[in-house]
Amino acid sequence: VGVAFPLLQALQRVNGRLLEENPSESLLFDVVLITSDSQQQQQSSRIISNTRHHGLEISRFCFSSEEDFTESLLKNNVHLFLTTDRDEAAQASQKGVFSALLNGKVASSEQLRVVFCGDAVIRTDAEPPSASQDAAQSFWAQLGEMRRRFGMLDSPLSLVLLTSRGGRESCGTALQTLRSRGVNMDEAYSLAGAPRSPILSLLRPHFLLINHLED
Amino acid sequence: MSEIKLTESAPTEDNGEEKDWAAAKAFFDNLKTNKPRPPKPRYAVTIAVSSRTLFNMVKERKVYEDEGLEKYVAYQMEHESEPLMPGAAFPFVQALMNVNSRLRQLYPDSEELFDIVLMTNNHAQVGVRLINSINHYDLSIERFCMTGGESPIGYLKAYMTNLYLSKNSDKVTEAIEEGIAAATMFTADTDNELSKTQLRVAFDGDAVLFSDESEIIVKQHGLDTFFEHEKEFENKPLAQGPLKCFLEALGKLQRKFIAKNERLNCPIRTFLVTARSAASSGARVLKTLRSWGLEIDEALFLAGAPKGPLLQKIKPHIFFDDQMFHIEGAQQMGTISAHVPYGIGQKYHKGKLIEQPPKKE
Repeated sequence: VGVAFPLLQALQRVNGRLLEENPSESLLFDVVLITSDSQQQQQSSRIISNTRHHGLEISRFCFSSEEDFTESLLKNNVHLFLTTDRDEAAQASQKGVFSALLNGKVASSEQLRVVFCGDAVIRTDAEPPSASQDAAQSFWAQLGEMRRRFGMLDSPLSLVLLTSRGGRESCGTALQTLRSRGVNMDEAYSLAGAPRSPILSLLRPHFLLINHLED
Repeated sequence: MSEIKLTESAPTEDNGEEKDWAAAKAFFDNLKTNKPRPPKPRYAVTIAVSSRTLFNMVKERKVYEDEGLEKYVAYQMEHESEPLMPGAAFPFVQALMNVNSRLRQLYPDSEELFDIVLMTNNHAQVGVRLINSINHYDLSIERFCMTGGESPIGYLKAYMTNLYLSKNSDKVTEAIEEGIAAATMFTADTDNELSKTQLRVAFDGDAVLFSDESEIIVKQHGLDTFFEHEKEFENKPLAQGPLKCFLEALGKLQRKFIAKNERLNCPIRTFLVTARSAASSGARVLKTLRSWGLEIDEALFLAGAPKGPLLQKIKPHIFFDDQMFHIEGAQQMGTISAHVPYGIGQKYHKGKLIEQPPKKE
């Protein structure tokens, strides 16, 4: 199994709980598998049957060429693109697709844990938002709405805010800004320059969302 | 304190860390306010306080206990702009801040300072009120963990915490078991006038600075055996207790003042307040401290007399003891006390063995 396996399982759990709360729920996670690797494309039927075998619910398989890659993402109305390839992520981001790197070392937890590095939240309000930032905001708004379907205890997903560089006021302002956009964070960590990795290994994010990929 | 080892390959991770640190430093240095920036954790003496020790949240706690989590969070959000009242650890935190400003005057480039971290398992939405309250009093707290229900123990280690203060004795016990100095805070019944210029910390000896090995002898074999034993082993250092490392950290900072000829004006003063008597069992304690290279400013041997009246004169910002009997005595006479749930003292109350309920699995 690959790096994204625990993530997909966690996404499916959230979907399961959403449908439990409301069988006609339409705000669900929809997973698209995309590859531009021609070798993988030749193995497409094997990939598809493997995902079925492991019980992964993947709604669409997208085999595109390297040039049309980001076009495919946009055409498929992808809200978040995850990859372990930094260049791929940067490329997609430039074209306005909200992208993030999959953490290779994540410890799997039952709960879907989404960590947002909030240092840039304040800045986005000052500068004109880029296409990628718009995509990010839209993703977060949807995630916020999804989170509201559950109560405080026993939620299958947890939204975590992490600020690395500013102090408590930056984190506090980020919390309130996000709240005004309909995103209520569950956890908040202000590092103010303290080392990130010990905290991240405790947070166990399935994915780590940063506004700017240069970080 | 054990070193936190990074499991990633050193160069890239250090680069990331250094970038974060440099960016944080730049952020604070560029602020228009003269807000002091937090020190580098590796060099700092890190004190983690819970929200209920920093602020008085008795009313809010009642809402939580009577009406549940959702009502509690809603209540906090409703009252978000109302600053909370100070809690038991508040004077201690202010005293730490004062030491920091003295240290910054003498050593403007040093990272050896107190670092105060808010460690709470409150929900981040409650956090907004906590941040607003910290802003209101302008406390130097820039780092926090609001874990939304998860245990803070892992985060204590990640922050290389030197002392953890909480109202929750289970968390404190867990921290001690993980090798972190910790104590459960109790508010005082009256308000003593505490020093605004000097941090004053009082420690009990056995089972706080030292292990409970001698305490065990008293409880199981009586005072006479204890006296004989201590005389016989006078020159053998006692093993260390859960708060020894914190005393050590305080000593490290004290020496920085001494190095600048500020011994008489040192803003940190430590006290040993022990039921031992100077004549019979006191020597071993002093010799142990000496063998550890630690100094304590005042050693007070009570020979069994109650600690309350003496503590009332000393007026420490915090007093650590392992026995609830002493904590209660101190509390009644206006001293802010912190219980260290360690050692054999936990099984006794006022000299009698407590009936232990069957251990929960």
